Amino acid sequence: MRALPRKESVSEGVDFVSVMRRRFIWLVLLVAGLLLSSFVAILVGSIGPIGPGEPEYMPFDEAFGIIFGSDANYSESHINIIWQVRVPRVLLAAAVGAALACAGTAMQAVFRNPMADPYIVGVSSGASVGAVLAGIVGISTTALFGALMTPALAFTTALVTVFAVYSLGTVGGKVYVNTLLLSGVAVAAFLGSMVSLMIYFAGQQFHRIIFWLLGSFSGASWTGFYVVALAAAVGILIVFIFSRDLNALLLGEETAHNLGVDPESLKTIMLVVAAVITAAAVAFTGVIGFVGLIVPHMVRLVVGADHRILVPAATLTGAIFLIIADTAARAVIAPTELPVGIITALCGGPFFLYLLRRNRLSGEAT
Amino acid sequence: MKLAVRNLSYSFGEKRVLRNVELEVDSGEFLGLMGPNGSGKTTLLRCVMNYLRSDPGSILIDGRPIQEMPPEDLAKTFAVVPQSSSTDFTFSAYDIVMMGRIPHRSNRLAGASKKDADAVQSAMERTDTWKFAGRPFFALSGGERQRVVIARAIAQSPKALLLDEPTVYLDINGQLEVMDLIRSLNKKEGITVISVLHDVNMAARYCDRIALLSNGWLEAIGPPAEVLRPETIQSVYGVDVVVRKDPFTNAVYVMPHSTLSTAPRHGGRVHILCGGGVGGPLMKALLDAGFGVSTGVLNVLDSDFENAKDLHVPTVAEMPFAAISDSAHLENLRLIKEADFVVVSPFPVGPGNLKNMEAAKAALEMGKRLLVLRPETGRTVDFVGGKADGIVKDLISSGAIPLCSSDEMVREITREGVRK
Repeated sequence: MRALPRKESVSEGVDFVSVMRRRFIWLVLLVAGLLLSSFVAILVGSIGPIGPGEPEYMPFDEAFGIIFGSDANYSESHINIIWQVRVPRVLLAAAVGAALACAGTAMQAVFRNPMADPYIVGVSSGASVGAVLAGIVGISTTALFGALMTPALAFTTALVTVFAVYSLGTVGGKVYVNTLLLSGVAVAAFLGSMVSLMIYFAGQQFHRIIFWLLGSFSGASWTGFYVVALAAAVGILIVFIFSRDLNALLLGEETAHNLGVDPESLKTIMLVVAAVITAAAVAFTGVIGFVGLIVPHMVRLVVGADHRILVPAATLTGAIFLIIADTAARAVIAPTELPVGIITALCGGPFFLYLLRRNRLSGEAT
Repeated sequence: MKLAVRNLSYSFGEKRVLRNVELEVDSGEFLGLMGPNGSGKTTLLRCVMNYLRSDPGSILIDGRPIQEMPPEDLAKTFAVVPQSSSTDFTFSAYDIVMMGRIPHRSNRLAGASKKDADAVQSAMERTDTWKFAGRPFFALSGGERQRVVIARAIAQSPKALLLDEPTVYLDINGQLEVMDLIRSLNKKEGITVISVLHDVNMAARYCDRIALLSNGWLEAIGPPAEVLRPETIQSVYGVDVVVRKDPFTNAVYVMPHSTLSTAPRHGGRVHILCGGGVGGPLMKALLDAGFGVSTGVLNVLDSDFENAKDLHVPTVAEMPFAAISDSAHLENLRLIKEADFVVVSPFPVGPGNLKNMEAAKAALEMGKRLLVLRPETGRTVDFVGGKADGIVKDLISSGAIPLCSSDEMVREITREGVRK
């Protein structure tokens, strides 16, 4: 009788080259997905080519011509709709999605908790105070800075809040993440009640403020895109540079230290970077929830927890996710639109619960 | 690599955790750090890895203060294995081991290279973890996980391993698995090992030297046989122990006595006639129950003689392998006279110790309450042609109480109480 060949050797070990190849393929797919979703999103709108076509219809060939810069003589208003409305809007959605997903990934690593999100240290509540204040006082309508007043104020209050929370969570140069987390919750609750109070007395500004609080890309402009994209690009690069250090941090501060990583400076750098890019995103678009929580989580399930791949993959996925969500926000009840934050929470909440249950039932870590 | 700790003190705020610790560790040595909880073992380890910053110059590697070493150099010198490692994130075992290569990257942007991949694979093969390299870290058993963490430490290619109770959460199988792995790294690759260990016998078995800490002071340092003395352990841990030599390895091993007070609470004394080791459990059970105990007559080198000595039980002793002399017999009878109970244990009876059976008879005649423990087989181990069994039957028919276990004996004696 012949012995049966051993089968288990097939699954033994890890083939380094094929892991690297698989990661590369993921990134190529995500970049392709980003390009495709951006392109389709630019075609969606009330005048078409994908949309109801009211009050007039813009055919596909005209849209393609405008996008790819053909010499043909197209209507000035169509060119404006594509290049001054839709393109900056889609690009802004991509930049914000990338920023939030990257910031969420960094925060989850700093807090060593997959439930952390970019708003955990008070960015959103801080920005809300500034934005609501700007809306109520009405400075957003003054001529001097015009539409940039609200983002500027929101950005400032967001960073002031984060600095306050950070100071509360730091003792003698050491960042205590649990204290930081609780300080964030307490400060957010306090500022949230201030926002509620202001809304209560806001009167006719009420609808606009709510729209901002739920997050929307309706005010997208090239300026907004440039600011957010610059902040996001620098921030994402920094997070990526520290991606192996973040891996080490997830095994605990003692282990990180032993691997030559200084946990204190790493935590501080990550908190500052995540706060700045989140604040930039929130300042221009309002509080868009769930992206920074769900995207890193979802991507981690697919590509694993190694930040070398997780940071770029989550960043790209965040961009794609918000482009699609914003397109849906524009299309669902066109010609009016929903705040995109409602879409992300509507899709994100149940999906998140699904992941949570699935992982609990199969006994996996979250 | 030579590690020197010079006059190291460390405080958490007002609380002093280490006081003037001085020690040296040579290249290739296996040093165990021991001491009760809170004695400063883990703090010492964390100072050595510079996670806790101590005074400059208090810790030197080859004469160089660690406080002045760049973090990457330190990371290439020491690899740390904590008590247990866990993460809520879905790293594979491979990812975890790959983290050991972080100190070896050429710059921040550099990812893992083929060289890193080779180092990881070789570390995982040596720890027998390569077969589950692709599995999620959290899905592994405690022993497997600890081996993966050791693989990470090896991938770090350090000069020394620093371990903090690496086996504390493992079952006996996992403990041996991990300790044997560490020892083979120490002996075969010459990696210096400094490990906090809580198990004295584990330490005695694996360490070249043991450093015993107590309340922040270095109480003793040296080979296990020198450090693990009953007096030292009593003063550091506050428990009574017996130290013996393992007959196969010659390593010392330590057996703790019960921490219950063994001071007689009942004021009475039980005299046990025993030999050949059957008396040990009886002495211990009676001492734990709070009775005074004496024994007799025992030959020096008899295991019950050792038991009695370890338990500080008064004994009538006879020369090794000699028959019981008249003087020893009389001394035995004297102890019986002073005792409140006499227990006949199921000791093997031969011509040399037949006098102990006579002593039992004498006890009955003195009016002592005599308890006879029957052997589990029902028959006395008898080298005197059935004589012993006959005596036991006589004893029972003349009023001795037959019993089957030491529990029953303790119950009987407690129930009857000590006659005042």
